[in-house]
Amino acid sequence: MHDRSRNRITQDRYPDYDVLAKRNGPSWNDKTREVIARRLSIDSQPLFFAAEEFETLTAIAARIVPQPASRPQIPVAALIDRKLHEGVSDGYRLAGMPREREAWRRGLHALDAEARLAFSERFAGLSGAQQDELLHRAEAGRLNAPEWGSMRCSDFFKRRLLHDIVLAYYSHPVAWNEIGWGGPASPRGYVRLDYNERDPWEAAEARPGHESEAARTNRHVR
Amino acid sequence: MSRAVERDVLAGAGLALSVLAAAAVLAPKAGSSRIRSQRIAALPRSGPQPRTAVRAARRLNGAAGMLAASVLADSSVEHYRGSFKNRAMYTPLVVSALTLATSLHGTSDMRPLAHRLRDGCYLLAAATGLLGTGFHFYNVTKKVGGFSWQNLFYGAPLGAPMAILLSGLLGFCSERVRETARSPRPEMFGLPAARTIAAVTGAGLLGTSGEAGLLHFRGAFHNPFMAVPVTLPPIGAALLFNAAARGQGRAHPFTRAWMWLLTAMGLAGVGFHAYGVSRNMGGWRNWSQNVLNGPPLPAPPSFTGLALAGLAALGLMREHRDA
Amino acid sequence: MYDDALHMPRARQGQAPDVFRPGGWVPMREYRNDEPVDFVIVGTGAGGGTLACKLAEYGFSVVAFDAGPYFRPLEDFASDEAEQTKLYWTDDRIVDGANPLQLGSNNSGKAVGGSTVHFAMVSLRFRPEWFKSRTVLGYGADWPLDWREMWDYYTEVEQALKISGPVTYPWGPPRPRYPYRAHPLNAAARALAKGCEALGIDWTETPLATISAPRGLAHPCVYRGFCVTGCSTNAKQSALVTWIPRALAAGAEIRDLAMVGRIEVDDNGLVSGVHYHRDDGWHFQRARNVVVAGYAIETPRLLLNSATDRYRDGLANSSGLVGKNLMTQSNQAVWGVMDDEVRSYKGPPSLAITEHWNYADKGKDFFGGYAYMSQGPLPQLWANTQASAHGLWGGPLVEEMKNYNHVVGLKIVGEMLPQETSRVTLADEVDQYGLRIPRVTYSWCDNDKRLIDHSLKFMSRALQAAGAKDLWIQEDDTCHLNGTARMGDDAGTSVVNADCRSWDIPNLWICDGSVFPTVGGVNPSLTIQAIACRTADRIRAMARRGELNRSARRSSAPISATTDATASTA
Repeated sequence: MHDRSRNRITQDRYPDYDVLAKRNGPSWNDKTREVIARRLSIDSQPLFFAAEEFETLTAIAARIVPQPASRPQIPVAALIDRKLHEGVSDGYRLAGMPREREAWRRGLHALDAEARLAFSERFAGLSGAQQDELLHRAEAGRLNAPEWGSMRCSDFFKRRLLHDIVLAYYSHPVAWNEIGWGGPASPRGYVRLDYNERDPWEAAEARPGHESEAARTNRHVR
Repeated sequence: MSRAVERDVLAGAGLALSVLAAAAVLAPKAGSSRIRSQRIAALPRSGPQPRTAVRAARRLNGAAGMLAASVLADSSVEHYRGSFKNRAMYTPLVVSALTLATSLHGTSDMRPLAHRLRDGCYLLAAATGLLGTGFHFYNVTKKVGGFSWQNLFYGAPLGAPMAILLSGLLGFCSERVRETARSPRPEMFGLPAARTIAAVTGAGLLGTSGEAGLLHFRGAFHNPFMAVPVTLPPIGAALLFNAAARGQGRAHPFTRAWMWLLTAMGLAGVGFHAYGVSRNMGGWRNWSQNVLNGPPLPAPPSFTGLALAGLAALGLMREHRDA
Repeated sequence: MYDDALHMPRARQGQAPDVFRPGGWVPMREYRNDEPVDFVIVGTGAGGGTLACKLAEYGFSVVAFDAGPYFRPLEDFASDEAEQTKLYWTDDRIVDGANPLQLGSNNSGKAVGGSTVHFAMVSLRFRPEWFKSRTVLGYGADWPLDWREMWDYYTEVEQALKISGPVTYPWGPPRPRYPYRAHPLNAAARALAKGCEALGIDWTETPLATISAPRGLAHPCVYRGFCVTGCSTNAKQSALVTWIPRALAAGAEIRDLAMVGRIEVDDNGLVSGVHYHRDDGWHFQRARNVVVAGYAIETPRLLLNSATDRYRDGLANSSGLVGKNLMTQSNQAVWGVMDDEVRSYKGPPSLAITEHWNYADKGKDFFGGYAYMSQGPLPQLWANTQASAHGLWGGPLVEEMKNYNHVVGLKIVGEMLPQETSRVTLADEVDQYGLRIPRVTYSWCDNDKRLIDHSLKFMSRALQAAGAKDLWIQEDDTCHLNGTARMGDDAGTSVVNADCRSWDIPNLWICDGSVFPTVGGVNPSLTIQAIACRTADRIRAMARRGELNRSARRSSAPISATTDATASTA
């Protein structure tokens, strides 16, 4: 037990924890290994988006889920690109919203158009603060370039952009390490379920001042 | 080594030691037993019978050892599961290992004298059992929901520390029997030793059966064999109580046979529990979860320990009219 | 890939997948398309799967269709949220209304076994009064069922699924002991318990359809926490591993990857079979009876898509109520963080529950009730909740996500009232089969909002009492789908009668959550299965009395009457 607020200064809550170290142990079954291997093999070449669209998407993703440069990068834009390429769908959309592929294309073009309108520059060329400003205005429904068509910018922001980017980021093992999640768990699940109980195959959280102890424990997680 | 790894090693060592010890307790005593029984046969049926008493005492040491081995293995596994988050959780490992060593010493000691160290050790075991029960009771009641089925099922098991208490009691009895080897009849605190031990063992069987009943109820008695440890031991307990009440100088062949049955049941239980572990997801390949989440392998031999104590008491009873 | 469940039907050539053995098969009886079977059942979830099993065991010939794949959980399910979206119904649908629903995940399933393959396994009985909520409690609509009869069917289902539940249940009339014992509580569940004890209300372990001890070839739960993305342990007692193996053993046929697009009506106004899409082509299966069990969106969609000249507003729709009175359940939450590590990803997500506000009638300014349960969201779900419901993105999102292992939450399953304006209609667009897609319109009424408000205030106090800090409220979430083909005593105000038989077409039946006149404040799966068991018993009784065929033959008379009724409503 520890005071969570003090822990905020810790950069790495789960130092040296790598969920992939468990890959060949009893926590992963064949199907999971296959699925995650496929995900990890995705390179950053778009299959669905055009180069410019992909660039815009990459820039947006960097604002929605900023990543420290010090660790392997999660290819958020490519993960979304593959999902659209394969035609994976949520299965529902608001009236007025086009289907996934069309919504993304239109939304990216509209954001680029808004960037040109406001700053005479493509979205990807803007500073982080300018990009954030546009995204905040999209979130609040305060963008109305004709490129949006029948799609409200706030709907696009919340139901497509935010939704898909966040899901892509947290589908990646690097993000799982960041939050100290146990990761895939079958056939082996968990034994110790109560408060502050940790199975030896779970991430150890660094208490302030005890980071190296947590790191040592995490290196044994299999 | 990190603390986690130390824990792994410790729990593993506890397990290994208990398995070795259980094997040693069960192994036939080489050589001397046949000679001894011939000598005993030659002795008159009444009067001081040092050898009878010593033999019964050594059997009781063995029974206490078997119980201690079961406790050592069980508490190693269960307290490892509990991550030894309280330092006191190491106590039963240390004490049961000590009790085990003491018992092994006792089984090879032919002298008709109580051993002060053994006595101390058995008393320590009994005290640990009492304290442990207190601890476990506190653990159950402090959890949200208090004294509820949920916490009885999944909190610290109330019955478990009783096994080390019983081990200590049987060991203590053993020393008393040994001590009275030269007196007209084996006795403890003025009570006939064999009958007292039979009664204590009967009570132990009832308690252990209750514990098995609780945990098998938790498992919804999904396998019909799960009814065995809640039916056979209470009958055994009744037979022992009967022997204790009016058993002097009788052979009690049926009760003895029943004790052998319980001895075998305790050992077979390990096999059943191993099968239970294999039925969990991932089977033995997923041992790091299933040994902890599946049925406890070391638990059933506590029936064996108690049944051996029952046999010791019956043996003493048969060979000594006033015991 | 020779055996890809998603693209190639598996149940064929006299065999179906053995869900208990990787790569295994079990024998399956097959029927020809031109062979009229006693019952075609559309859907194999809680309603259809259960009914297929019971009817086959009663000796009827049964073919049950499912649009989704036939999985073997042990080998087909990954421990991965993204991959497991393959269990959801993700065909195109449009949502609108004042409170458009989120579909696709927690309220849909496209697989043999339906959404029970990924349901949260919460198996609760209705409060008895809810079956007469209009008469006794003053809201909603009465059911044509008696709670005492339902109590017996609940027992049947609880036994069939080996529900793991508490030794004694704190609310409602006595019920038999659950067949398996409750699971151990995780920290998230203990937080719920602590909050309840602080506020002086009862709580208990949630009765769950996941086994706490071995059962046949099914392993007990390993507390891996992926319940709502599919159980690869087979501990979850879904229709896929309970009713359907029984159905196969009793001679039913399951047709996977078979999308039923239209129910055929013959010249007498009776249904004669179904048109279904399988293997890139349309086929027609003849049947003496058709049961629609596609859940509250696909059921009305199929009935509406099957409209003919005779039934212009869709089948069984003389009351005009098909598609109307769609009810979801409110699923609002209060979230916070604890100083302690909670790691709520371990174990089934909802191990503890309080039904206090389902059974207490004092202190409410709303009709209906709610239960609330502990929560255990996996990372993707949790991140999406933080983004869409908490409004976080950028640095604040990534930082807040690092508190994942300390998060604790309480979430309701709350009763929403039936309204005709909340409904399923057909949009003009079509899906991959060329069938018109559903438009799902949903708006909360004032009572719904008062209930939600009450629950959020109460749960906030409870979570605070449990020691959580930084509380925030998730205001927009819903779960479960019901209504759209309600049952009743009167052909004018309901679509089916108490036996799930449509008023208009006597050999057309509806057996799923669509028939609920009200939803109550508990998860609906147990009630759906209990209704299916009752329906099977009723069908057997009617068949023994010869009422199935006889009523089928004299069916045209009431139909002309009901057609008039339709005209007047329209």
